[in-house]
Amino acid sequence: MKKRTFHNPVGVGKFTGLWLISPFILGFSVFTLYPFLSSFLLGMTDIHGDFTGPSNYIDVLTSRSFRSAAMVTMRYTLILVPLKLIVSLLTAVLLNQRAKGMGLFRTAFYIPSILGSNLAIVIMWQFLFTTDGLVNQCLRLIGISPVSWYGDSGNALFIIILLRLWEFGSAMVIFLNALRDIPAEYYEAAKVDGCGSVRAFFSITLPMLRDVIFLNLVLQTISAMQEFSAPYMITGGGPMGSTETVGMLIYDEMFRYGDTGYANAVSWSLFVLITAAVLLLFKITGKLREENR
Amino acid sequence: MKNNITALAAMLGLALLTSCGGSAESKDTSPDGRLDPCSLRFSWWGGDDRHEATLKAIDLWEKKHPDIKIIPEYGGWDGWTEKVSAQIKGGTAPDVMQINYDWLISLSMDGNGFYDLGRLDSILDTSGFDDDVLCFGRVGGKLNAVTVSVSGRGLFYNSDVYKRLGAEYPETWDDLIALGEVFGKKGAYPLDLDIQSGGTAWYLAVVYVQQRTGREFLSMDGVLGFTRDDMKMALDFYKELEDNHVIRTIRSRTDEDGNAALYQSPEFIDGSIAGVLEWGSSVGKYEMVLPDGVLEAGPMLKGDSGEDGGWMIKPSLLYAISSKTKYPDEAAAFMDFLLNDTECAVILGTTRGIPSSSYAEESLEENGLLTGLAQENDQMLEVLDTSTISPYMELPRMKEFYNNAIEKVSYSTTDTAEAAEELYNSINEYLEKIRR
Repeated sequence: MKKRTFHNPVGVGKFTGLWLISPFILGFSVFTLYPFLSSFLLGMTDIHGDFTGPSNYIDVLTSRSFRSAAMVTMRYTLILVPLKLIVSLLTAVLLNQRAKGMGLFRTAFYIPSILGSNLAIVIMWQFLFTTDGLVNQCLRLIGISPVSWYGDSGNALFIIILLRLWEFGSAMVIFLNALRDIPAEYYEAAKVDGCGSVRAFFSITLPMLRDVIFLNLVLQTISAMQEFSAPYMITGGGPMGSTETVGMLIYDEMFRYGDTGYANAVSWSLFVLITAAVLLLFKITGKLREENR
Repeated sequence: MKNNITALAAMLGLALLTSCGGSAESKDTSPDGRLDPCSLRFSWWGGDDRHEATLKAIDLWEKKHPDIKIIPEYGGWDGWTEKVSAQIKGGTAPDVMQINYDWLISLSMDGNGFYDLGRLDSILDTSGFDDDVLCFGRVGGKLNAVTVSVSGRGLFYNSDVYKRLGAEYPETWDDLIALGEVFGKKGAYPLDLDIQSGGTAWYLAVVYVQQRTGREFLSMDGVLGFTRDDMKMALDFYKELEDNHVIRTIRSRTDEDGNAALYQSPEFIDGSIAGVLEWGSSVGKYEMVLPDGVLEAGPMLKGDSGEDGGWMIKPSLLYAISSKTKYPDEAAAFMDFLLNDTECAVILGTTRGIPSSSYAEESLEENGLLTGLAQENDQMLEVLDTSTISPYMELPRMKEFYNNAIEKVSYSTTDTAEAAEELYNSINEYLEKIRR
């Protein structure tokens, strides 16, 4: 048999691919890899910049402030993520119906998630949750005594969770796309067999969305564990450190107290925590995801 | 192929080297005594009164020096320290900066964190400053910063509310405590103290204890002078203020204002809060939100037997030049203009307190501008036996210790003895760590 030869007019060589991706490698090395590695080394310096070995890392593990911030972050993540997944999935299912003006609703539900936690939001939250805010006024109307939202440890974390829950748009968009990929025939066949919409949701929609739910679960967990801006802007970490997340602790140590070494050690501890959380999620959802194959 | 890999490796290596370059010391720029055309960045924090006056002063400078442009960077005090320390650490600090007293410790422990102004004495005239005042800006033998004004915290009251309730401004600590009942009946407070960026709660408690015991809280070189009992006395005093309705509890303040500063609080603006403790150099922001002339300076509080010590002063603000500036001469000339120029002094008025530069002060006096709350506060402090605040007192970590203790006492999660013990130990441990 005659050996085939390939025409190679542009000179594609063994390393051409490497050349083509070199801009990415360059960007990744400079802006991600280098800061990542140097952050680890910076974590081994004291407040004067002298090398101290792993003492900051040991201090982080034994410090009360890190333990407290890690607990706040965990509590925040454990409450927020499941709520956000449920709300975004149910809204996505509703917005996936064929009805007039659905595009407008989709946009309306997505808008809060692009607002983040800017100054306008902070002011709005103040109007809503301070002593004479809208929420307490409404409570008074129905005869309930006003609630201490900002001043109570538990409620302060709750109003931050509420802000992030309100911003469920990005998770919802991912669900919406996945919902559109489920073939309509499945629902039609189920309908012919006498299946109601609730049953269809649990027997068709949920199983078909398993991978996407997992994707959202991982993405939302990572972003919740990195939370910084909402508590920084709304409560400043108070009262009594009840909203001081690990993200805020890193900021405070770095920029407020100028302890670069300790701040970097906390950053690495957060990295380890997030990695552990994601691995745990993979492990505990492993079987469920396999069933889908 | 080998060439390709070598070239790629070289590119990566170069990229890493250049990225390392950012953190390395930049080349020192030496003064040459000439003013060349350039753009300078100048940053400051403050309230709107200071912003407006400073922008006008910059206009005047640019009229006099059309080829040296000033790029202003300004904002409120909240988060300002963090912003500027990030700039300094990242090598992107503004050429001229308004700095706070404690930054000399936190950002220039060896005197190399800011430009050595001694090298610019041909342009920057310091002859209008007392030696004692210039000393505030000297670190490790180098002049790192020049004091803009010296001021202390004083008490300022909403005169309308006091008149309406028929109350007199308190003269003693007991008078202050007694006012709680008078104001409480009307759902108002005679004073408020905060633990946010202002952190006035601990300050007043320190003044109280210093006056009663004669002991200084912290020495200038960062040694704790208070005993455990003194700490407890300070926290007990704070709790007494809350319990007697003199100030709001932390819970009610947080519930009412969220994370907002006191001068932005609706309760201060509508008069439910009728007094504040503030630097004479910064009281303008409180004055601005009330009708003209409503905020008045009250007496510095005394003990029952007339003891009036314990009150403190400090350089309220200083100007410094970035150690990495490319234009030291031009920056020094602009700083000289801000500190000494007589026309500039008239524009700036007392928005940064009573100027320490005799040239600026004389100019204000000649123009009849040495009036207002800053001046009244200055005069009241002048007749007292004040001490200078240790720069260690205002370090952010120290403020965190005070605030934690006060929060625990306010929320009653620990008693004052336990909170005082913890505060005493934290402060000692920290000071030990940061003193070289």
